[in-house]
Order: sequence, then structure tokens, then C-alpha cells
Amino acid sequence: MKRKNNKKFNKRPQNPLNKLSLFQKSDSRFSKKCPLSGKDAPAIDYKNIKLLRRYISDTDKIMPSRITSVSQNKQRKLTSEIKKAKILGLI
Amino acid sequence: MSFYEHTLIAKQDISTADLEKIEKKYSDIIDKTEGEVIKVEKWGLLSFAKKIKSYNKGFYIHYKFKGGGKTLEEINRNSIIDNSLVRHMTVKYKILDTETEYFKEKDINEKKK
Repeated sequence: MKRKNNKKFNKRPQNPLNKLSLFQKSDSRFSKKCPLSGKDAPAIDYKNIKLLRRYISDTDKIMPSRITSVSQNKQRKLTSEIKKAKILGLI
Repeated sequence: MSFYEHTLIAKQDISTADLEKIEKKYSDIIDKTEGEVIKVEKWGLLSFAKKIKSYNKGFYIHYKFKGGGKTLEEINRNSIIDNSLVRHMTVKYKILDTETEYFKEKDINEKKK
């Protein structure tokens, strides 16, 4: 019984150019986890320039979280720390 | 009483004797106003990302201390008046991290390369 049920759910169109696939959410897009939360996450601090440089564009703008996949809570901390580092002229 | 971090940026053309005077001056201010200096870090001469008051480089001094409203007022007032400083900033912390030094490690790595 179980196998039959599984077959039904796996019937998604595999060809990405198929018209139906446009309306179905792809699995890979939202699977990325937040790199700053978790057990071994690095500390967000205005002195930790190496980490902050990763979340800044070439023109010194703060990267949006939809590109970097940072969680909402950590993104708020990141912006405040980046602005502190900019005051001191570190970034 | 709560924990604070205070960073000063002194001008580039200041001599080393004057730098020590500045460092002593602010640690004395903290002691006089019932505060307690926990740690003092010298980050040395670093280059700015942008020009600040027509200077390209500056000496960084970093304080970690415990104090109340009096110490904050005195430090802020003094660092605004001080002619040998370019910029200053204080940050409040609930728990101070005194072990990790981000700027010391960097210097060692650069020398190795």
C-alpha cells in the first residue's frame, strides 16, 4: 500500500521547461539554512570584520537576506553591527 | 552599573609619548568616576575605509570597562573636546567578551605571509 501512495506524490513533472512546473515550488530554492544561527555559528560583532565583509556588496551596501539566506533575527543584528563598523571606518 | 566598550581614534601625526598620555587620561577618568577598567587593547595604526576629517589613517585604542552614567558622561564630554581625536564610539553590553581579540590575530597572520 505504501509504495502505491508514494508513487502518486512523486508524479511531479521533471522537465523544468514544462508549463506546469512554473506553478509548483521547487524544492531546492528554499532548502538553504541560515549560516549565522545554530550551534557553531560565528559571533556577529562590529570588530569581526572578516565576517561582515561577506555580507556587503562591492559598493558597501548591505546585502538583502533573500540572497544571503540569513534569518530575520540575525539580519537585524547584522545591519546594526555593520553600521557601527562604518562609523569607526573599519569597513 | 553595566558593561561598556569604548573605542577612540587618535590622529595619525601624533607621537608615541602623546599616545600613552591619551591612554592614561581616559583610564584615569574611568577610575575617578567610580568605574572599573577591565581591559585596554591597542589596535595600532589602521587605515580607514574612507577619509575621516581629511585623515587616511589613525591609532585605535579600545577600552572595556564597567561603569554608570557618570563615567559615560565624562568620557563623552572629554572625547568631544579632545583635539587629538578623530572619532569615538561607545557600545553597551550585557556580557563582555574579553578573550577574543580580532585585531591581534590579524597582525600575526600578515607577518607570516
